[in-house]
Amino acid sequence: MDRREFFKRTRSDKSQRTMFAGLAPYTGSWTVNEVTHLLKRTMFGARKADIDYFLTLSPAAAVDELLDNIVAPAPPVRDYGLMGDDSGALHDDLGVALGQTWVNDPNMLSNPEIRGLINYYRRESLKKWWAGLIINQNRSIQEKMVLFWHHHFSVQEEEVGNTQFLWRHHNLLRSNVLGNVKSITREVCIDPAMLVHLNGYLNSRQAPDENFARELQELFTIGKGNDSQYTEDDVIAAARVLTGWRILNDPLSSFLDTSAHDMGAKTFTAFYNNTTIAGSTDPNAELDALMNMIFGTTEAARFICRKLYKWFVYYNIDAAAEADVIIPMAAALQSNNYDIKPALSLLFKSEHFFDTVNQACYIKSPFDMIMGTLREFNVSFPAYTNYTTGYPLFYSLYQSAADMQQQLFQPPDVSGWPSYYQEPMHYELWVNSNSLPKRADFTDALVNDSVIDVRAFANYSSNPADPNQLISDITALLLRYPLSANSKAYVKRNFLLNNTTDDTIWTNAWNTNNNTVIDSSLKEMFKFLMNLPEYHLC
Amino acid sequence: MNRRKFLRNTVPVAVTMPALLNGFSFTAHGAETSSLARLLEQTATDTDHVFVLIQLAGGNDGLNMVIPLDVYGNYYNARTNVAIPQSQVLRLDGTDKSGLHPAMTALQNMYNEGKAAIIQSVGYENPSFSHFRDTDVWNSGDTRRNRSERVKTGWMGRYLENEFPGYPEAYPDTEMPDPLAIQISNVPTLTVQGSIYSMGLSITNPEKIYTFANPFSDYPLNSAPANKELKFLRVISEKTKIYSDIIRAAYRRAATMAAYPTENSLAEQLKIVARLIKGGLKTRVYTVTIGGFDTHKRQVNASDTTTGQHAKLMKDLSAGISAFQQDLELMDLDDRVMGMTFSEFGRRIKSNASLGTDHGAAAPLIMFGTHAKKGILGNSPDIPADIQVVNNIPFQYDFRSVYASVLEQWFCVKQPALNEILLQNYQALPLVQGGPCGLPEEPDDTNNNSDKLILKMWPNPYTVSATIQFSTTGGHTMIQQIDALGRVIKVLTNQDYTAGTYNIDIYNDNFASGVYFLRLQNQSLQKVISIMKIQ
Repeated sequence: MDRREFFKRTRSDKSQRTMFAGLAPYTGSWTVNEVTHLLKRTMFGARKADIDYFLTLSPAAAVDELLDNIVAPAPPVRDYGLMGDDSGALHDDLGVALGQTWVNDPNMLSNPEIRGLINYYRRESLKKWWAGLIINQNRSIQEKMVLFWHHHFSVQEEEVGNTQFLWRHHNLLRSNVLGNVKSITREVCIDPAMLVHLNGYLNSRQAPDENFARELQELFTIGKGNDSQYTEDDVIAAARVLTGWRILNDPLSSFLDTSAHDMGAKTFTAFYNNTTIAGSTDPNAELDALMNMIFGTTEAARFICRKLYKWFVYYNIDAAAEADVIIPMAAALQSNNYDIKPALSLLFKSEHFFDTVNQACYIKSPFDMIMGTLREFNVSFPAYTNYTTGYPLFYSLYQSAADMQQQLFQPPDVSGWPSYYQEPMHYELWVNSNSLPKRADFTDALVNDSVIDVRAFANYSSNPADPNQLISDITALLLRYPLSANSKAYVKRNFLLNNTTDDTIWTNAWNTNNNTVIDSSLKEMFKFLMNLPEYHLC
Repeated sequence: MNRRKFLRNTVPVAVTMPALLNGFSFTAHGAETSSLARLLEQTATDTDHVFVLIQLAGGNDGLNMVIPLDVYGNYYNARTNVAIPQSQVLRLDGTDKSGLHPAMTALQNMYNEGKAAIIQSVGYENPSFSHFRDTDVWNSGDTRRNRSERVKTGWMGRYLENEFPGYPEAYPDTEMPDPLAIQISNVPTLTVQGSIYSMGLSITNPEKIYTFANPFSDYPLNSAPANKELKFLRVISEKTKIYSDIIRAAYRRAATMAAYPTENSLAEQLKIVARLIKGGLKTRVYTVTIGGFDTHKRQVNASDTTTGQHAKLMKDLSAGISAFQQDLELMDLDDRVMGMTFSEFGRRIKSNASLGTDHGAAAPLIMFGTHAKKGILGNSPDIPADIQVVNNIPFQYDFRSVYASVLEQWFCVKQPALNEILLQNYQALPLVQGGPCGLPEEPDDTNNNSDKLILKMWPNPYTVSATIQFSTTGGHTMIQQIDALGRVIKVLTNQDYTAGTYNIDIYNDNFASGVYFLRLQNQSLQKVISIMKIQ
């Protein structure tokens, strides 16, 4: 059955029960399959222990826990020692001691020659810390949503440069991770990193700079969908509303320089009900009016829901998904004054989310691949606060993801990662002749270097001595796309039975604890399974 | 498997084609299934030609790449803080109208040797000033505003799919044993996107070895989306293995022969391209990308506008192309290779206060190669003396005319395929010399024969009514009215004429007062003048 037929069916079947069949609460079975689907989409990988835990809850309680379990982490810390200048002389970062956080230190105390280096090392520590938080994530949607906001309000280190700005920006996203779409957008408009990234800090009444005003509407709030009718005049008017916002470095903040602010009335087009925003020297007045105007459109609510849908469910939003999922989800968002949690709760608890048509169709991002694989194999990492042994490991995770085209603080451009917007391929863009060998190298190396304990994973099986049970259990955990009976037989014969059909070969090896046979068989089998096209789906 | 076999081996044409060519709007162009089948029954064109697309990502400031010397006063006045000093503009043989950025000495030499050409003010009728939409427009060759109406394929993707239907599943075969297109990039772009698969392979390391695990071919799940993605992954996995072996072997068979500049990412990419061509790949299309053109701020150094970010880009572009051309000549391959630059848009005529320029409309592009037809096609852009922030450069040449000319004159694509690939008919431009496709040479516009066309309007400025006078050499003739942002707002005439001079009256057009342009297009000639409406 194709997607469209599926929707036709649900709409007619469920029309007696609810107005919005797509978002009706899910009441079906609650097994490893459904829990794994929920966890792989809302977290990075589904650990066996997490699957077992959420199986004890109801679907609704599981979603509530994922959405409610939000913790503010301790900030990143200095992990670097002395730094040499061009002449070779060593200098210290006089602003913060080793192991202390630098986030409140404006980097003004140390030798001016090395402040650039300090800025660099702090930025790298910020990335390590973030990668550490992802690999150490709680049973929560938090880290996947933080990454969503980074995709949505994409800022690049290459453009922004200043680490203090990047931290402030990141903390803004993190502090509002399941908060209010309208307030987070309002803060981003005047966020120093964004003011730099899209030239807002250069936008003045004498020389209006449209860069931010354009992306605010095109990428952050309204989009270019078929019902988006804002015009070039609206871009120019919004740029005028935002003229004069400037950055104060210490303490890091932004303010409205009224001498650079356009005090004229700004009139928008019919798409925004011909709204006029009067000139004002009150720093809040025009910004609030602009947000009220933009988020007063239904398109603003639908746009962010489509983006969330593509991030969590599937990239193809056909007419039925638009009507049965996006529109009611957007209505929930608007009726809750843009608080995001009720809308997400509706989505994740819905029949639509758990429908088989939406399972196993998501191509893993590099972070899904890297963090998910390590977490599912229960590879233990130091706490995210551990800057001595933890940060170097977290850095290698950050670099692996960057190598596979998902780099923290450096999405490809201001529109984030193309896998979530570029038609027609979307997720398929993650996998190509360049990235596929890198993914294979990564999982091969985890096995070859014994980073992952294949024996421990085999022990997740209810009866690892039985090759049929073993393969059935571990593929159920590893692969969202199931293997057929024939394929499982192929795996068994090739990797566990030494190319025979005699099950006792494996059973005897396991029961006699023949390490040589067990380890080499399992290693080859896990490498094979993680090289399968099926492994890239979740 | 060749094309005919592919057709024979599949279910009847009428069933297969819509899926295979999803994204083409055949009915809209009047083609019936029968003509489609006829189209596909042709075997792939026998050509060993290669085309290299260089994407300048971010929106290249064309006005500082090709500096209009004949309107230098207005140019300087519009962008005092970023303007290139007149005395430092690199001169080109045979013209006083335009010159190159001072960092482009290598390209200046190529131009003077007849190995590079400039096409002025290439763009289209409805620029959006958005990186993403305009990049899609250039890559797809479709300017429709409404996203759901636009094709989801790339112009080169459609060309290659037309030549090699059934790719990638039915390939490689004896007719095409190599990748159709290679993108030196981490991710495939829309340019080479076919109806389902990308027609291109993305590589960054041609020596990469990929071990392949994909023995299964069944689809246990009854879910269309999951099966679509699994099938995609299986095909990519299988083809990655096959083609990475082919690419690696070709790369190892050849050695670089010219000296390439260092710390120049474009040069690094072109160096790989030359080696792969020399290694014997029959691949027809290569794409490379150089980023950093979104120069809203600090495009130039305040102390010296010939230095700074844009100067570095111009130098990299010029030196990279030049080294590539030398390499090809030493390899004795230059007869087979042509290339062009493109960028999603040019930049605003008037500079901003941050030593930069904002998003604009039309811009010049560079064609290069031994077969590039020497010269500058078209006139310098019209720059108003009284420059406003909104003023943009209107297009003289539709970018799809450039595409059509490349396909027809370099890849020898014939009708009706040409119209199917580009979605409609576009005027041919004289871009390729030596007639490798056996076509008659187009009238040479490089000496600006367009100047001989008459296009004037009186009164100008106008209030309510005016008369436009134009001449035509006969055949298809069109006049468009374009607003200050560079968008076509009205088509005043669009039909076949016999050679002569004609008048059109306009009356009460309801346009707001301001600057407009009239664009006359007659066969391969065009002319643009500025007009003004006042209340």
